[in-house]
Amino acid sequence: MSNDHGGLSTIVDHKTAASTNYDAVIVGSGISGAIAAKELSEKGFKVLILEAGPGKDLSLNGYEKYLDNFYTATSKDNNAPFPRNPNAPMPRGTDVDSLRPGEPNSDNFLVQNGPLVTDTTYCKVVGGTTMHFESKTPRMIPEDFHMKDNYDVGINWPIDYKELQPYYRTAEKEMGVSGEVASQNITGTDNYAEGYVFPMHGMPPSYLDQTVGKGLNGMKVNMKGEEHTLQVRPFPQGRNGIPNVEYKEFNDGENFVPEGAVSLHQAEIGERCQGNNNCTPICPVQAKYDARKTLVKALRTGYADLLPQTVASKVVVDDNGKVTEIEYKHYDSMESSEYESGSFKGKIFVLAANAIENARLMLASGLQSTSKLMGKNFMDHPYLLTWGLLPEVAGTMRGTVCTSGISDLRSGEFRKDHAAFAIDIHNDGWGWATGSPYTNLHDIVDNMNKYGKELRHELVNQISTQLLMAVMIELLPDPSNSITVSPDYTDRLGNMRPIVSLSIPDYTLKAVEKARQVTRQVFQRLGAEDHTSYDPLDFGYVSYNGEGYALRGGNHIAGTHIMGDDKATSVVDKYQKSWDHENLYLIGAGSMPSIGTSNTTLTLAALCFMSTKKMLEDLI
Amino acid sequence: MNAKTLEIQQFLQLSEKLTAFSEFQLQGTGQLEEYYEAVYQIIGEKNMIQLLTTFDKIQDETASDETAFDKQFRAKVLSDEKLGPITRSIIKLWFVGTWYQLPKSWNETFGLLENDKTYVISPSAYKEGLLWPTIGSHPMGAKAPGYGTWSAPPEIPAID
Ligand SMILES: Cc1cc2nc3c(=O)[nH]c(=O)nc-3n(C[C@H](O)[C@H](O)[C@H](O)COP(=O)(O)OP(=O)(O)OC[C@H]3O[C@@H](n4cnc5c(N)ncnc54)[C@H](O)[C@@H]3O)c2cc1C
Ligand code: SF4
Repeated sequence: MSNDHGGLSTIVDHKTAASTNYDAVIVGSGISGAIAAKELSEKGFKVLILEAGPGKDLSLNGYEKYLDNFYTATSKDNNAPFPRNPNAPMPRGTDVDSLRPGEPNSDNFLVQNGPLVTDTTYCKVVGGTTMHFESKTPRMIPEDFHMKDNYDVGINWPIDYKELQPYYRTAEKEMGVSGEVASQNITGTDNYAEGYVFPMHGMPPSYLDQTVGKGLNGMKVNMKGEEHTLQVRPFPQGRNGIPNVEYKEFNDGENFVPEGAVSLHQAEIGERCQGNNNCTPICPVQAKYDARKTLVKALRTGYADLLPQTVASKVVVDDNGKVTEIEYKHYDSMESSEYESGSFKGKIFVLAANAIENARLMLASGLQSTSKLMGKNFMDHPYLLTWGLLPEVAGTMRGTVCTSGISDLRSGEFRKDHAAFAIDIHNDGWGWATGSPYTNLHDIVDNMNKYGKELRHELVNQISTQLLMAVMIELLPDPSNSITVSPDYTDRLGNMRPIVSLSIPDYTLKAVEKARQVTRQVFQRLGAEDHTSYDPLDFGYVSYNGEGYALRGGNHIAGTHIMGDDKATSVVDKYQKSWDHENLYLIGAGSMPSIGTSNTTLTLAALCFMSTKKMLEDLI
Repeated sequence: MNAKTLEIQQFLQLSEKLTAFSEFQLQGTGQLEEYYEAVYQIIGEKNMIQLLTTFDKIQDETASDETAFDKQFRAKVLSDEKLGPITRSIIKLWFVGTWYQLPKSWNETFGLLENDKTYVISPSAYKEGLLWPTIGSHPMGAKAPGYGTWSAPPEIPAID
């Protein structure tokens, strides 16, 4: 244990870092890397965190700059708060185009090999993708871990729900989850420890949720002969609400204290979510969890060094496969292509760069693993958007992005035949599908020729009644869906860019069809006008059974270095330790052998907590 | 009153008609001068004066007869090849704080304007967009109404 570097050693230069022998070198400062850094540094182990993107300024000041960028961006897309950075580029949802037949599209950072083009994004700044994630935090359900055994599709995990359960609790504490356990009991079995409550009470459901619930609760749908009853349920979410005093029992007898705005110096009590309806891309009051909240805990120990604008470019191994060092390229300015390079050494190495970037870095280093599965089994949730107008004003465009949804179709025997799905009710209305409310304003002014009073009435009619149901659909692991690299496609620093190949199998397309049918029934029941339409020229257009649909990327990238029991059929073991490289961990959603119908972050956080136990054993 | 103050006053009256928000409410956004100045820089003095005097004349002629105003305003401003597109961009400016570039057809007839491009005028312009109060909400990411307010029905302001 190297606990000789006391004090607050967050400011380190590359030369000093390069001559230090760290206990752990961690690539990536997102939630995965931040959890690893915190858990190891709190035990006195010396860690170095490399972060490809900018963000030295962890203070409010730096954060407010992001906010102003957002306010003045004409396109308020997910990455609007963050400047373009050719030295560590990231995918932007607005960058996608349909494919030209027969060739990959390399116009933008993600090289798209098709057949489906994805607009999935992630973020390269300190704090990683949590800087603009929505922070919905449902757990996976027990059956998701045994898809092969239960439904004869997909792959089993090497662990079951029970083994992960205590780590789910740790992750819920770290992310500061608000929610009600009762609303999460969707499989009818007892998936939570007895008496368990989330750290904070559930976010109040929006008026829109209540309006939909009133009409929809109790609706029956037929899933392959099984009857399922639908109900609008609130989601657990990582954002500050009202602490639940009963949580004490799960918090060493202490009341839960929400984390506030990120600062190196003091731990402020977190402001409650104020309903900015802007969780993606940026929460103005930092009520939403982001990984900097975990990262500063690591930095405050004095055992963690953070180097932003430092891109890991190669993992170097010796003849036995042991990692000896990680090579980096450090740039001073986002405006210039100049960089300096070097390497960092440590006892263990942890890649926490996310599912696409972990695979990219390993493949660019020539490390495919024995199973040859590095980069294979790429997964993400395809989303089907459906939208309509309710017969009454429902106050759309208020609250967090999403407070409730329909989770009753996440589980069932029908999973033998087609994918499960979950439905989000979007408090921000049709925004995701149509660009509302801006597009409504344009239409009313430019085409309906309204101004003044009539314009205002029409805005209310067209916006305050909006209901968008976004259906998140399971995608199973398939080796042909993959991330690869090629020297033909590099970024400005000469690092190879990820190439995505993605196709949607019938198992998922059948669920797309079913999801469209169910949402139609919901609109019919609510007396809503269904305005859903899909453009055959849409980049995400797919046809199935004579009907067309436009799919959207789910931002839940996973599965590129799946875990398993066996070196021949997986890349990492259940602790996310590489089978081929004894001192290397690949952590994050890349290790997940299935993604069920849960947003991935809570599960990947739980996995990271479980892995750090093993890392600590390795280091002691 | 100097010429500029007078023009800002006329711009305010025009804006009241375009948005159905009162002069008082429009002043309350703190955006009036910034918008006037931005539009002036974009369309130039001549176009600004033409718009304001046309509007002023219609106001005078129709007094408080709303139907007559609407008829004339549509005939002389909204359907005018030059003033129509400018006016529509001013409406959008008030509602979302963004100036939207004039259509190509405008440029083909009246020429290119150097400062005419789509942009958000300023962070405060975004936050003061009138769209949000119109629908009983607040701009995404600003002026948050407070924890739990979203569970109550929206308060959509009556239009007088
Ligand atoms: C719009 C949006 C909404 C989302 N909403 C939700 C949600 O509601 N719930 C949920 O569970 N999940 C959500 N997600 C997904 C969630 O954000 C991710 O699962 C999570 O943030 C991944 O964390 P990570 O630490 O594994 O990776 P990341 O957060 O992507 O962090 C990886 C970090 O590594 C850095 N890096 C990459 N390559 C290198 C390199 N070579 N050298 C050095 N550094 C490198 C990157 O810059 C980045 O900072 C959402 C995502 C998006 C985009
Ligand atoms: S609704 Fe707002 S205050 Fe709440 S977490 Fe989202 S952005 Fe933050």
